[in-house]
Amino acid sequence: MDLTEVTVVETKKRRASNSHSLERAERRMGLIFAIPSFIGYSLFVALPMLFVFVLSVFKIDLMSNTITFQGMSYFDKLLHDDDFWKAFANTFKYLVIYVPLTLLLGLVMALILHSRVYLRGMIRAFFIIPYITTYIATLVVWNVFLHPTEGPVNSLLMSWGLNPPHYMVDTRWALPVLAVIGSWKDVGFHCLLFLAALQGVPRDLYEASSIDGANGLARFRHVTLPLISPTSFFLLLITIIGGLQAFYQMALLTKGGPAFSTTTLTYHIYRTAFEYYDFSYASAVGVILFLITLVLVLINWFGQKKWVFYQ
Amino acid sequence: MKILRTIVFSLVGLIFVTPLIWMLSTSFKYENQVFEKPFVLVHWDDINFGNYRYLLTESPVLTWLSNSLIVVVVSVLCRLLFAAVTGYAFGYLRFRYANTIFLIYLAALFIPYQLSLLPQFIAFRYIGFLDTLWALIVPNIVDILSIFLMRQFFLTFPRDFIHAAYMEGSGVVRSFVRIALPLAQAPMLTLGILSFFMIWDQYYQPLIFLKSPEMFTLPLGIHSFQTQFGHEYAKQMALACIAIVPVLITFLILQKRFVESIVTAGIKG
Repeated sequence: MDLTEVTVVETKKRRASNSHSLERAERRMGLIFAIPSFIGYSLFVALPMLFVFVLSVFKIDLMSNTITFQGMSYFDKLLHDDDFWKAFANTFKYLVIYVPLTLLLGLVMALILHSRVYLRGMIRAFFIIPYITTYIATLVVWNVFLHPTEGPVNSLLMSWGLNPPHYMVDTRWALPVLAVIGSWKDVGFHCLLFLAALQGVPRDLYEASSIDGANGLARFRHVTLPLISPTSFFLLLITIIGGLQAFYQMALLTKGGPAFSTTTLTYHIYRTAFEYYDFSYASAVGVILFLITLVLVLINWFGQKKWVFYQ
Repeated sequence: MKILRTIVFSLVGLIFVTPLIWMLSTSFKYENQVFEKPFVLVHWDDINFGNYRYLLTESPVLTWLSNSLIVVVVSVLCRLLFAAVTGYAFGYLRFRYANTIFLIYLAALFIPYQLSLLPQFIAFRYIGFLDTLWALIVPNIVDILSIFLMRQFFLTFPRDFIHAAYMEGSGVVRSFVRIALPLAQAPMLTLGILSFFMIWDQYYQPLIFLKSPEMFTLPLGIHSFQTQFGHEYAKQMALACIAIVPVLITFLILQKRFVESIVTAGIKG
Protein backbone atom coordinates (compact mmCIF):
# COMPACT_ATOMS: atom_id res chain seq x y z
CA MET A 1 0.00 0.00 0.00
CA ASP A 2 2.84 2.38 0.82
CA LEU A 3 4.26 1.92 -2.61
CA THR A 4 0.99 2.88 -4.24
CA GLU A 5 0.61 5.75 -1.88
CA VAL A 6 3.90 7.09 -3.17
CA THR A 7 2.86 6.53 -6.77
CA VAL A 8 -0.35 8.36 -6.15
CA VAL A 9 1.41 11.33 -4.64
CA GLU A 10 3.72 11.44 -7.63
CA THR A 11 0.77 11.25 -9.93
CA LYS A 12 -0.78 14.15 -8.16
CA LYS A 13 2.33 16.21 -8.84
CA ARG A 14 2.66 15.37 -12.47
CA ARG A 15 -1.07 15.10 -13.19
CA ALA A 16 -2.16 14.16 -16.68
CA SER A 17 1.27 13.45 -18.08
CA ASN A 18 1.45 10.10 -16.33
CA SER A 19 -1.86 8.30 -16.14
CA HIS A 20 0.59 5.61 -17.24
CA SER A 21 2.21 4.99 -13.90
CA LEU A 22 -1.19 5.10 -12.24
CA GLU A 23 -2.37 2.34 -14.47
CA ARG A 24 0.75 0.36 -13.74
CA ALA A 25 0.21 0.74 -10.02
CA GLU A 26 -3.38 -0.41 -10.39
CA ARG A 27 -2.31 -3.45 -12.34
CA ARG A 28 0.29 -4.36 -9.79
CA MET A 29 -2.27 -4.08 -7.01
CA GLY A 30 -4.72 -6.00 -9.17
CA LEU A 31 -2.42 -8.97 -9.10
CA ILE A 32 -2.23 -8.73 -5.32
CA PHE A 33 -6.02 -8.46 -5.07
CA ALA A 34 -6.30 -11.58 -7.20
CA ILE A 35 -3.98 -13.69 -5.04
CA PRO A 36 -6.73 -15.02 -2.72
CA SER A 37 -8.66 -16.18 -5.75
CA PHE A 38 -5.58 -17.94 -7.18
CA ILE A 39 -5.24 -19.83 -3.93
CA GLY A 40 -8.95 -20.49 -3.56
CA TYR A 41 -9.36 -21.61 -7.14
CA SER A 42 -6.39 -23.95 -6.96
CA LEU A 43 -7.46 -25.46 -3.67
CA PHE A 44 -11.15 -25.86 -4.37
CA VAL A 45 -11.46 -26.18 -8.12
CA ALA A 46 -8.26 -26.98 -10.02
CA LEU A 47 -6.55 -29.35 -7.60
CA PRO A 48 -9.67 -31.36 -6.75
CA MET A 49 -10.40 -31.73 -10.45
CA LEU A 50 -6.86 -32.89 -11.11
CA PHE A 51 -7.09 -35.18 -8.12
CA VAL A 52 -10.27 -36.79 -9.44
CA PHE A 53 -8.40 -37.71 -12.61
CA VAL A 54 -5.50 -39.03 -10.54
CA LEU A 55 -7.82 -40.96 -8.24
CA SER A 56 -9.40 -42.67 -11.20
CA VAL A 57 -6.12 -44.36 -12.12
CA PHE A 58 -4.88 -45.11 -8.61
CA LYS A 59 -6.28 -47.31 -5.90
CA ILE A 60 -6.48 -45.50 -2.57
CA ASP A 61 -7.02 -47.47 0.60
CA LEU A 62 -8.24 -45.12 3.32
CA MET A 63 -7.71 -47.69 6.04
CA SER A 64 -4.07 -48.50 5.41
CA ASN A 65 -3.30 -45.22 3.60
CA THR A 66 -1.71 -47.00 0.66
CA ILE A 67 -1.78 -45.95 -2.96
CA THR A 68 -1.20 -48.24 -5.91
CA PHE A 69 -1.23 -47.43 -9.59
CA GLN A 70 -4.03 -49.13 -11.50
CA GLY A 71 -3.80 -47.63 -14.96
CA MET A 72 -7.04 -47.75 -16.89
CA SER A 73 -8.32 -50.74 -14.97
CA TYR A 74 -11.11 -48.78 -13.26
CA PHE A 75 -12.42 -47.56 -16.58
CA ASP A 76 -12.18 -51.06 -17.90
CA LYS A 77 -14.10 -52.40 -14.92
CA LEU A 78 -16.67 -49.67 -15.28
CA LEU A 79 -17.34 -50.27 -18.95
CA HIS A 80 -18.07 -53.92 -18.17
CA ASP A 81 -20.25 -53.07 -15.21
CA ASP A 82 -23.99 -53.44 -15.73
CA ASP A 83 -24.69 -51.07 -12.85
CA PHE A 84 -22.73 -48.33 -14.55
CA TRP A 85 -24.64 -48.71 -17.80
CA LYS A 86 -27.96 -48.73 -15.98
CA ALA A 87 -26.99 -45.52 -14.19
CA PHE A 88 -25.85 -44.09 -17.51
CA ALA A 89 -29.21 -44.89 -19.13
CA ASN A 90 -31.14 -43.57 -16.11
CA THR A 91 -29.25 -40.29 -16.27
CA PHE A 92 -30.39 -39.76 -19.85
CA LYS A 93 -33.93 -40.88 -19.12
CA TYR A 94 -34.04 -38.29 -16.38
CA LEU A 95 -32.71 -35.61 -18.72
CA VAL A 96 -35.18 -36.46 -21.47
CA ILE A 97 -38.08 -35.76 -19.11
CA TYR A 98 -36.61 -33.07 -16.92
CA VAL A 99 -35.10 -30.74 -19.52
CA PRO A 100 -38.04 -30.27 -21.93
CA LEU A 101 -40.59 -30.25 -19.12
CA THR A 102 -38.78 -27.56 -17.14
CA LEU A 103 -38.18 -25.36 -20.17
CA LEU A 104 -41.73 -25.68 -21.47
CA LEU A 105 -43.36 -25.20 -18.08
CA GLY A 106 -41.12 -22.22 -17.37
CA LEU A 107 -42.05 -20.59 -20.66
CA VAL A 108 -45.78 -21.19 -20.15
CA MET A 109 -45.62 -19.78 -16.64
CA ALA A 110 -43.73 -16.73 -17.89
CA LEU A 111 -46.36 -16.21 -20.60
CA ILE A 112 -49.07 -16.39 -17.94
CA LEU A 113 -47.31 -13.72 -15.89
CA HIS A 114 -46.73 -11.64 -19.02
CA SER A 115 -50.41 -11.67 -20.01
CA ARG A 116 -52.95 -9.08 -18.87
CA VAL A 117 -53.97 -10.37 -15.47
CA TYR A 118 -54.82 -9.07 -12.00
CA LEU A 119 -52.94 -10.24 -8.89
CA ARG A 120 -49.76 -10.75 -10.87
CA GLY A 121 -47.58 -10.51 -7.78
CA MET A 122 -49.52 -13.25 -6.03
CA ILE A 123 -49.48 -15.62 -8.99
CA ARG A 124 -45.77 -15.00 -9.43
CA ALA A 125 -45.19 -15.81 -5.77
CA PHE A 126 -47.05 -19.12 -6.19
CA PHE A 127 -44.86 -19.98 -9.17
CA ILE A 128 -41.53 -19.32 -7.52
CA ILE A 129 -42.23 -20.52 -3.99
CA PRO A 130 -41.09 -24.11 -4.72
CA TYR A 131 -37.84 -22.75 -6.15
CA ILE A 132 -36.97 -20.82 -2.99
CA THR A 133 -38.14 -23.33 -0.39
CA THR A 134 -35.75 -25.80 1.22
CA TYR A 135 -35.44 -28.72 -1.18
CA ILE A 136 -35.14 -31.50 1.38
CA ALA A 137 -38.17 -30.22 3.26
CA THR A 138 -40.29 -30.25 0.10
CA LEU A 139 -39.10 -33.78 -0.66
CA VAL A 140 -40.28 -34.98 2.74
CA VAL A 141 -43.65 -33.49 1.85
CA TRP A 142 -43.72 -35.16 -1.57
CA ASN A 143 -42.88 -38.45 0.09
CA VAL A 144 -46.09 -38.35 2.11
CA PHE A 145 -48.14 -36.55 -0.54
CA LEU A 146 -47.46 -39.34 -3.04
CA HIS A 147 -47.77 -42.17 -0.54
CA PRO A 148 -48.85 -45.10 -2.76
CA THR A 149 -51.85 -46.32 -0.78
CA GLU A 150 -52.82 -43.61 1.70
CA GLY A 151 -51.42 -40.35 0.31
CA PRO A 152 -53.86 -37.58 -0.57
CA VAL A 153 -53.17 -37.79 -4.31
CA ASN A 154 -53.84 -41.47 -4.60
CA SER A 155 -56.74 -41.54 -2.17
CA LEU A 156 -58.36 -38.85 -4.31
CA LEU A 157 -57.69 -40.79 -7.52
CA MET A 158 -58.95 -44.00 -5.95
CA SER A 159 -62.11 -42.29 -4.75
CA TRP A 160 -62.74 -41.52 -8.43
CA GLY A 161 -62.49 -45.22 -9.13
CA LEU A 162 -59.08 -45.03 -10.76
CA ASN A 163 -56.18 -47.37 -10.17
CA PRO A 164 -53.27 -44.96 -9.69
CA PRO A 165 -49.60 -45.94 -9.98
CA HIS A 166 -47.48 -46.45 -6.89
CA TYR A 167 -44.99 -43.75 -7.93
CA MET A 168 -41.75 -44.10 -6.00
CA VAL A 169 -42.03 -47.83 -5.38
CA ASP A 170 -42.81 -48.73 -8.99
CA THR A 171 -39.77 -49.27 -11.21
CA ARG A 172 -41.52 -47.79 -14.24
CA TRP A 173 -42.80 -44.69 -12.46
CA ALA A 174 -40.08 -43.83 -9.97
CA LEU A 175 -37.64 -42.05 -12.28
CA PRO A 176 -40.27 -40.01 -14.18
CA VAL A 177 -41.84 -38.97 -10.87
CA LEU A 178 -38.46 -37.81 -9.56
CA ALA A 179 -37.88 -35.87 -12.78
CA VAL A 180 -41.26 -34.15 -12.47
CA ILE A 181 -40.54 -33.26 -8.84
CA GLY A 182 -37.18 -31.86 -10.00
CA SER A 183 -38.98 -29.71 -12.57
CA TRP A 184 -41.53 -28.55 -10.04
CA LYS A 185 -38.71 -27.45 -7.75
CA ASP A 186 -36.57 -25.66 -10.33
CA VAL A 187 -39.05 -24.18 -12.76
CA GLY A 188 -39.50 -20.92 -10.83
CA PHE A 189 -36.03 -19.86 -11.92
CA HIS A 190 -36.82 -20.57 -15.56
CA CYS A 191 -40.11 -18.74 -15.25
CA LEU A 192 -38.41 -15.60 -13.95
CA LEU A 193 -35.72 -15.57 -16.63
CA PHE A 194 -38.21 -16.19 -19.43
CA LEU A 195 -40.37 -13.42 -18.00
CA ALA A 196 -37.44 -11.00 -18.03
CA ALA A 197 -36.74 -11.97 -21.64
CA LEU A 198 -40.38 -11.50 -22.65
CA GLN A 199 -40.42 -8.07 -21.06
CA GLY A 200 -37.34 -7.23 -23.07
CA VAL A 201 -39.07 -7.76 -26.41
CA PRO A 202 -39.66 -4.30 -27.87
CA ARG A 203 -43.33 -3.42 -28.19
CA ASP A 204 -43.02 -1.82 -31.62
CA LEU A 205 -41.96 -5.15 -33.07
CA TYR A 206 -45.31 -6.63 -32.05
CA GLU A 207 -47.12 -3.64 -33.47
CA ALA A 208 -45.22 -3.88 -36.72
CA SER A 209 -46.03 -7.56 -37.06
CA SER A 210 -49.71 -6.92 -36.30
CA ILE A 211 -49.81 -4.39 -39.09
CA ASP A 212 -48.28 -7.04 -41.34
CA GLY A 213 -51.28 -9.18 -40.46
CA ALA A 214 -49.63 -11.76 -38.25
CA ASN A 215 -51.98 -13.40 -35.76
CA GLY A 216 -51.12 -14.24 -32.15
CA LEU A 217 -49.56 -17.61 -32.84
CA ALA A 218 -47.52 -16.42 -35.79
CA ARG A 219 -46.35 -13.47 -33.77
CA PHE A 220 -45.24 -15.79 -31.00
CA ARG A 221 -43.35 -18.03 -33.42
CA HIS A 222 -41.73 -15.39 -35.57
CA VAL A 223 -41.23 -12.51 -33.16
CA THR A 224 -41.23 -13.71 -29.56
CA LEU A 225 -39.42 -17.04 -29.84
CA PRO A 226 -36.46 -15.74 -31.85
CA LEU A 227 -36.10 -12.71 -29.60
CA ILE A 228 -36.00 -14.74 -26.41
CA SER A 229 -33.78 -17.43 -27.92
CA PRO A 230 -30.59 -16.26 -26.15
CA THR A 231 -32.38 -16.78 -22.83
CA SER A 232 -33.73 -20.12 -24.00
CA PHE A 233 -30.23 -21.18 -24.94
CA PHE A 234 -28.78 -20.14 -21.61
CA LEU A 235 -31.56 -21.93 -19.76
CA LEU A 236 -31.12 -25.04 -21.88
CA LEU A 237 -27.45 -25.22 -20.84
CA ILE A 238 -28.25 -24.59 -17.17
CA THR A 239 -31.01 -27.19 -17.21
CA ILE A 240 -28.84 -29.86 -18.81
CA ILE A 241 -26.02 -29.25 -16.35
CA GLY A 242 -28.47 -29.19 -13.44
CA GLY A 243 -30.27 -32.31 -14.65
CA LEU A 244 -27.01 -34.24 -14.85
CA GLN A 245 -26.37 -33.36 -11.22
CA ALA A 246 -29.80 -34.31 -9.84
CA PHE A 247 -29.24 -36.01 -6.53
CA TYR A 248 -31.53 -34.85 -3.73
CA GLN A 249 -34.64 -36.72 -4.87
CA MET A 250 -32.76 -40.00 -5.20
CA ALA A 251 -31.02 -39.58 -1.87
CA LEU A 252 -34.13 -38.76 0.09
CA LEU A 253 -36.98 -40.48 -1.71
CA THR A 254 -35.75 -43.66 -3.38
CA LYS A 255 -32.12 -44.38 -2.41
CA GLY A 256 -31.56 -45.18 -6.06
CA GLY A 257 -34.21 -47.90 -6.07
CA PRO A 258 -36.51 -49.68 -6.56
CA ALA A 259 -34.28 -52.18 -8.30
CA PHE A 260 -31.71 -49.57 -9.36
CA SER A 261 -34.35 -47.75 -11.43
CA THR A 262 -33.49 -44.30 -10.08
CA THR A 263 -29.73 -44.69 -9.72
CA THR A 264 -28.29 -41.98 -11.93
CA LEU A 265 -24.57 -41.39 -12.39
CA THR A 266 -24.45 -38.85 -9.56
CA TYR A 267 -26.18 -41.23 -7.20
CA HIS A 268 -23.91 -44.04 -8.35
CA ILE A 269 -20.91 -41.85 -7.51
CA TYR A 270 -22.33 -41.12 -4.07
CA ARG A 271 -23.02 -44.75 -3.32
CA THR A 272 -19.70 -46.13 -4.47
CA ALA A 273 -17.71 -43.38 -2.76
CA PHE A 274 -19.53 -42.82 0.50
CA GLU A 275 -21.20 -46.15 1.13
CA TYR A 276 -18.64 -48.56 -0.30
CA TYR A 277 -15.68 -46.18 0.10
CA ASP A 278 -14.43 -47.06 -3.38
CA PHE A 279 -13.17 -43.59 -4.24
CA SER A 280 -11.29 -44.66 -7.33
CA TYR A 281 -14.27 -46.29 -8.97
CA ALA A 282 -16.39 -43.26 -8.01
CA SER A 283 -13.79 -40.94 -9.51
CA ALA A 284 -13.77 -42.93 -12.73
CA VAL A 285 -17.57 -42.50 -12.93
CA GLY A 286 -17.02 -38.84 -12.11
CA VAL A 287 -14.61 -38.43 -14.99
CA ILE A 288 -17.24 -39.94 -17.29
CA LEU A 289 -19.90 -37.60 -15.90
CA PHE A 290 -17.60 -34.67 -16.53
CA LEU A 291 -17.01 -35.80 -20.12
CA ILE A 292 -20.76 -36.19 -20.69
CA THR A 293 -21.35 -32.66 -19.39
CA LEU A 294 -18.59 -31.35 -21.62
CA VAL A 295 -19.91 -33.10 -24.73
CA LEU A 296 -23.50 -31.96 -24.17
CA VAL A 297 -22.40 -28.38 -23.57
CA LEU A 298 -20.22 -28.39 -26.68
CA ILE A 299 -22.97 -29.89 -28.85
CA ASN A 300 -25.34 -27.15 -27.76
CA TRP A 301 -22.69 -24.50 -28.08
CA PHE A 302 -22.15 -25.32 -31.72
CA GLY A 303 -25.81 -26.10 -32.30
CA GLN A 304 -26.91 -22.66 -31.15
CA LYS A 305 -26.02 -21.05 -34.49
CA LYS A 306 -29.01 -22.82 -35.97
CA TRP A 307 -31.63 -21.34 -33.69
CA VAL A 308 -30.27 -18.69 -31.37
CA PHE A 309 -30.78 -15.18 -32.62
CA TYR A 310 -28.63 -12.40 -31.19
CA GLN A 311 -29.83 -8.89 -31.84
CA MET B 1 -61.60 -11.67 -19.92
CA LYS B 2 -59.03 -10.28 -17.58
CA ILE B 3 -60.99 -11.49 -14.56
CA LEU B 4 -61.50 -14.95 -16.02
CA ARG B 5 -57.78 -15.19 -16.74
CA THR B 6 -56.97 -14.06 -13.23
CA ILE B 7 -59.17 -16.77 -11.74
CA VAL B 8 -57.81 -19.56 -13.94
CA PHE B 9 -54.17 -18.59 -13.45
CA SER B 10 -54.56 -18.14 -9.71
CA LEU B 11 -55.99 -21.64 -9.54
CA VAL B 12 -53.06 -22.96 -11.57
CA GLY B 13 -50.71 -21.25 -9.14
CA LEU B 14 -52.58 -22.65 -6.18
CA ILE B 15 -52.42 -26.19 -7.56
CA PHE B 16 -48.71 -25.68 -8.06
CA VAL B 17 -48.17 -25.10 -4.33
CA THR B 18 -50.75 -27.65 -3.11
CA PRO B 19 -48.11 -29.93 -1.53
CA LEU B 20 -46.88 -27.01 0.54
CA ILE B 21 -50.36 -25.98 1.63
CA TRP B 22 -51.01 -29.58 2.56
CA MET B 23 -47.76 -29.63 4.49
CA LEU B 24 -48.79 -26.59 6.53
CA SER B 25 -52.22 -28.05 7.20
CA THR B 26 -50.93 -31.48 8.18
CA SER B 27 -48.38 -30.05 10.58
CA PHE B 28 -51.30 -29.00 12.80
CA LYS B 29 -52.97 -32.40 12.80
CA TYR B 30 -52.68 -35.50 14.95
CA GLU B 31 -51.02 -38.52 13.36
CA ASN B 32 -54.30 -40.40 13.04
CA GLN B 33 -55.88 -37.49 11.15
CA VAL B 34 -53.19 -37.27 8.47
CA PHE B 35 -54.69 -39.64 5.94
CA GLU B 36 -58.16 -39.84 7.37
CA LYS B 37 -59.56 -36.72 5.74
CA PRO B 38 -56.55 -35.43 3.83
CA PHE B 39 -58.47 -32.59 2.24
CA VAL B 40 -59.99 -31.19 5.40
CA LEU B 41 -57.33 -28.56 5.74
CA VAL B 42 -58.02 -27.42 9.30
CA HIS B 43 -59.83 -29.19 12.10
CA TRP B 44 -60.93 -25.95 13.68
CA ASP B 45 -62.10 -27.44 16.94
CA ASP B 46 -59.00 -29.55 17.37
CA ILE B 47 -55.84 -27.82 16.18
CA ASN B 48 -52.75 -29.69 17.35
CA PHE B 49 -49.70 -27.66 18.30
CA GLY B 50 -48.11 -30.74 19.81
CA ASN B 51 -45.93 -31.50 16.79
CA TYR B 52 -44.21 -28.16 17.06
CA ARG B 53 -43.99 -28.38 20.82
CA TYR B 54 -42.37 -31.79 20.53
CA LEU B 55 -39.89 -30.66 17.88
CA LEU B 56 -38.84 -27.51 19.68
CA THR B 57 -38.46 -29.06 23.11
CA GLU B 58 -37.66 -32.73 22.73
CA SER B 59 -35.69 -32.97 19.51
CA PRO B 60 -32.40 -31.37 18.41
CA VAL B 61 -34.17 -29.14 15.89
CA LEU B 62 -32.97 -25.94 17.51
CA THR B 63 -29.38 -27.19 17.40
CA TRP B 64 -29.78 -28.01 13.72
CA LEU B 65 -31.32 -24.62 13.10
CA SER B 66 -28.45 -22.81 14.78
CA ASN B 67 -25.87 -24.95 12.93
CA SER B 68 -27.56 -24.02 9.66
CA LEU B 69 -27.55 -20.36 10.61
CA ILE B 70 -23.86 -20.43 11.59
CA VAL B 71 -22.89 -22.09 8.32
CA VAL B 72 -25.00 -19.74 6.24
CA VAL B 73 -23.98 -16.50 7.91
CA VAL B 74 -20.25 -17.23 8.05
CA SER B 75 -20.17 -18.65 4.51
CA VAL B 76 -22.11 -15.77 3.01
CA LEU B 77 -20.00 -13.08 4.68
CA CYS B 78 -16.71 -14.72 3.66
CA ARG B 79 -18.00 -15.40 0.18
CA LEU B 80 -19.07 -11.77 -0.30
CA LEU B 81 -15.71 -10.40 0.81
CA PHE B 82 -13.84 -12.91 -1.33
CA ALA B 83 -16.01 -12.18 -4.37
CA ALA B 84 -15.70 -8.42 -3.94
CA VAL B 85 -11.90 -8.45 -3.69
CA THR B 86 -11.57 -10.82 -6.62
CA GLY B 87 -14.19 -9.00 -8.66
CA TYR B 88 -12.33 -5.74 -8.11
CA ALA B 89 -9.08 -7.31 -9.27
CA PHE B 90 -10.58 -8.74 -12.44
CA GLY B 91 -13.21 -6.11 -13.17
CA TYR B 92 -11.64 -2.83 -12.17
CA LEU B 93 -7.89 -3.16 -11.69
CA ARG B 94 -7.55 -5.53 -14.66
CA PHE B 95 -3.98 -6.72 -14.36
CA ARG B 96 -2.20 -8.45 -17.22
CA TYR B 97 -3.88 -11.62 -18.48
CA ALA B 98 -6.79 -10.95 -16.15
CA ASN B 99 -9.32 -11.82 -18.83
CA THR B 100 -7.57 -15.03 -19.84
CA ILE B 101 -7.33 -16.20 -16.26
CA PHE B 102 -10.95 -15.29 -15.75
CA LEU B 103 -12.04 -17.51 -18.62
CA ILE B 104 -10.30 -20.40 -16.90
CA TYR B 105 -12.24 -19.56 -13.75
CA LEU B 106 -15.51 -19.57 -15.67
CA ALA B 107 -14.86 -23.01 -17.09
CA ALA B 108 -15.39 -24.31 -13.56
CA LEU B 109 -19.10 -23.55 -13.88
CA PHE B 110 -19.35 -26.62 -16.11
CA ILE B 111 -17.77 -29.01 -13.62
CA PRO B 112 -20.33 -31.02 -11.66
CA TYR B 113 -19.90 -29.96 -8.05
CA GLN B 114 -20.10 -33.57 -6.88
CA LEU B 115 -16.67 -34.28 -8.37
CA SER B 116 -14.72 -31.94 -6.12
CA LEU B 117 -16.41 -33.47 -3.07
CA LEU B 118 -14.48 -36.73 -3.48
CA PRO B 119 -11.02 -35.18 -3.00
CA GLN B 120 -12.45 -32.75 -0.46
CA PHE B 121 -13.61 -35.66 1.65
CA ILE B 122 -10.17 -37.25 1.59
CA ALA B 123 -8.42 -33.96 2.32
CA PHE B 124 -10.80 -33.03 5.14
CA ARG B 125 -10.25 -36.44 6.64
CA TYR B 126 -6.54 -35.70 6.88
CA ILE B 127 -6.83 -32.21 8.34
CA GLY B 128 -9.61 -33.20 10.73
CA PHE B 129 -12.42 -31.14 9.21
CA LEU B 130 -14.80 -34.09 9.02
CA ASP B 131 -17.78 -33.77 11.32
CA THR B 132 -17.14 -30.06 11.88
CA LEU B 133 -18.96 -27.09 10.39
CA TRP B 134 -15.67 -25.96 8.81
CA ALA B 135 -16.09 -28.68 6.22
CA LEU B 136 -19.26 -26.92 5.08
CA ILE B 137 -18.10 -23.33 5.41
CA VAL B 138 -14.66 -23.34 3.82
CA PRO B 139 -15.57 -24.72 0.37
CA ASN B 140 -18.50 -22.29 0.18
CA ILE B 141 -16.20 -19.28 0.24
CA VAL B 142 -14.91 -19.81 -3.29
CA ASP B 143 -17.88 -19.40 -5.58
CA ILE B 144 -17.29 -18.74 -9.25
CA LEU B 145 -20.74 -17.33 -9.97
CA SER B 146 -20.34 -14.77 -7.18
CA ILE B 147 -16.93 -13.74 -8.46
CA PHE B 148 -18.39 -13.41 -11.92
CA LEU B 149 -21.22 -11.15 -10.76
CA MET B 150 -18.88 -8.89 -8.80
CA ARG B 151 -16.54 -8.66 -11.76
CA GLN B 152 -19.43 -7.65 -14.01
CA PHE B 153 -20.33 -4.94 -11.54
CA PHE B 154 -16.80 -3.53 -11.30
CA LEU B 155 -16.28 -3.63 -15.07
CA THR B 156 -18.57 -0.63 -15.43
CA PHE B 157 -17.61 1.01 -12.15
CA PRO B 158 -17.04 4.76 -12.73
CA ARG B 159 -13.29 5.38 -12.76
CA ASP B 160 -13.74 9.00 -11.77
CA PHE B 161 -14.80 8.07 -8.24
CA ILE B 162 -11.65 6.09 -7.65
CA HIS B 163 -9.44 8.68 -9.29
CA ALA B 164 -10.92 11.33 -7.04
CA ALA B 165 -9.92 9.20 -4.07
CA TYR B 166 -6.38 8.89 -5.47
CA MET B 167 -6.23 12.68 -5.75
CA GLU B 168 -7.01 12.92 -2.06
CA GLY B 169 -4.07 10.65 -1.39
CA SER B 170 -5.73 7.25 -0.96
CA GLY B 171 -4.00 4.17 -2.22
CA VAL B 172 -5.63 1.34 -4.14
CA VAL B 173 -6.54 -0.58 -1.00
CA ARG B 174 -8.01 2.42 0.75
CA SER B 175 -10.03 3.56 -2.23
CA PHE B 176 -11.38 0.03 -2.56
CA VAL B 177 -12.45 -0.12 1.07
CA ARG B 178 -13.72 3.47 1.30
CA ILE B 179 -15.26 4.03 -2.12
CA ALA B 180 -15.73 0.84 -4.12
CA LEU B 181 -17.07 -1.44 -1.39
CA PRO B 182 -19.76 0.93 -0.09
CA LEU B 183 -20.93 1.61 -3.63
CA ALA B 184 -21.11 -2.14 -4.32
CA GLN B 185 -23.78 -2.62 -1.69
CA ALA B 186 -26.55 -3.33 -4.17
CA PRO B 187 -24.90 -6.23 -6.02
CA MET B 188 -23.52 -7.57 -2.76
CA LEU B 189 -26.97 -7.60 -1.22
CA THR B 190 -28.26 -9.44 -4.27
CA LEU B 191 -25.47 -11.96 -3.97
CA GLY B 192 -25.98 -12.27 -0.27
CA ILE B 193 -29.66 -13.14 -0.66
CA LEU B 194 -28.99 -15.67 -3.41
CA SER B 195 -26.15 -17.28 -1.47
CA PHE B 196 -28.25 -17.43 1.67
CA PHE B 197 -30.92 -19.44 -0.12
CA MET B 198 -28.43 -21.72 -1.87
CA ILE B 199 -26.36 -22.53 1.20
CA TRP B 200 -29.44 -22.98 3.39
CA ASP B 201 -30.52 -25.64 0.91
CA GLN B 202 -27.26 -27.60 0.83
CA TYR B 203 -27.64 -31.25 1.66
CA TYR B 204 -25.00 -33.31 -0.15
CA GLN B 205 -22.09 -31.72 1.72
CA PRO B 206 -23.54 -32.23 5.22
CA LEU B 207 -24.60 -35.72 4.21
CA ILE B 208 -21.04 -36.82 3.53
CA PHE B 209 -19.08 -34.59 5.91
CA LEU B 210 -21.13 -34.81 9.11
CA LYS B 211 -21.63 -37.81 11.36
CA SER B 212 -22.85 -36.71 14.77
CA PRO B 213 -26.45 -35.47 15.09
CA GLU B 214 -25.42 -32.44 17.12
CA MET B 215 -23.44 -31.18 14.11
CA PHE B 216 -26.25 -31.61 11.59
CA THR B 217 -27.61 -28.73 9.61
CA LEU B 218 -31.35 -28.51 9.07
CA PRO B 219 -31.61 -30.40 5.74
CA LEU B 220 -29.59 -33.29 7.11
CA GLY B 221 -31.59 -33.16 10.32
CA ILE B 222 -34.79 -33.45 8.31
CA HIS B 223 -33.36 -36.47 6.51
CA SER B 224 -32.34 -38.21 9.72
CA PHE B 225 -35.67 -37.38 11.32
CA GLN B 226 -37.46 -38.93 8.37
CA THR B 227 -35.46 -42.15 8.66
CA GLN B 228 -35.99 -42.29 12.39
CA PHE B 229 -39.69 -41.38 12.57
CA GLY B 230 -40.74 -42.91 9.26
CA HIS B 231 -44.44 -43.05 10.03
CA GLU B 232 -44.93 -39.93 12.10
CA TYR B 233 -45.94 -37.87 9.13
CA ALA B 234 -47.48 -34.93 10.97
CA LYS B 235 -44.23 -34.36 12.84
CA GLN B 236 -42.27 -34.57 9.59
CA MET B 237 -44.54 -31.94 8.08
CA ALA B 238 -44.06 -29.70 11.10
CA LEU B 239 -40.29 -30.05 10.73
CA ALA B 240 -40.52 -29.25 7.02
CA CYS B 241 -42.50 -26.14 7.95
CA ILE B 242 -39.85 -25.06 10.43
CA ALA B 243 -37.26 -25.32 7.66
CA ILE B 244 -39.35 -23.57 5.05
CA VAL B 245 -41.02 -20.79 7.01
CA PRO B 246 -37.88 -18.67 7.63
CA VAL B 247 -36.95 -18.69 3.95
CA LEU B 248 -40.54 -18.16 2.91
CA ILE B 249 -40.92 -15.09 5.13
CA THR B 250 -37.60 -13.69 3.93
CA PHE B 251 -38.76 -14.26 0.40
CA LEU B 252 -42.18 -12.64 0.85
CA ILE B 253 -40.63 -9.57 2.46
CA LEU B 254 -37.88 -9.23 -0.10
CA GLN B 255 -39.90 -10.56 -3.02
CA LYS B 256 -39.23 -7.71 -5.39
CA ARG B 257 -35.55 -7.51 -4.58
CA PHE B 258 -35.27 -11.29 -4.73
CA VAL B 259 -36.88 -11.55 -8.15
CA GLU B 260 -34.56 -8.86 -9.43
CA SER B 261 -31.55 -10.65 -8.00
CA ILE B 262 -32.42 -13.95 -9.63
CA VAL B 263 -32.96 -12.21 -12.93
CA THR B 264 -29.71 -10.23 -12.82
CA ALA B 265 -27.74 -13.24 -11.62
CA GLY B 266 -29.34 -15.38 -14.30
CA ILE B 267 -28.90 -12.98 -17.15
CA LYS B 268 -25.35 -12.09 -16.29
CA GLY B 269 -24.48 -15.62 -15.27
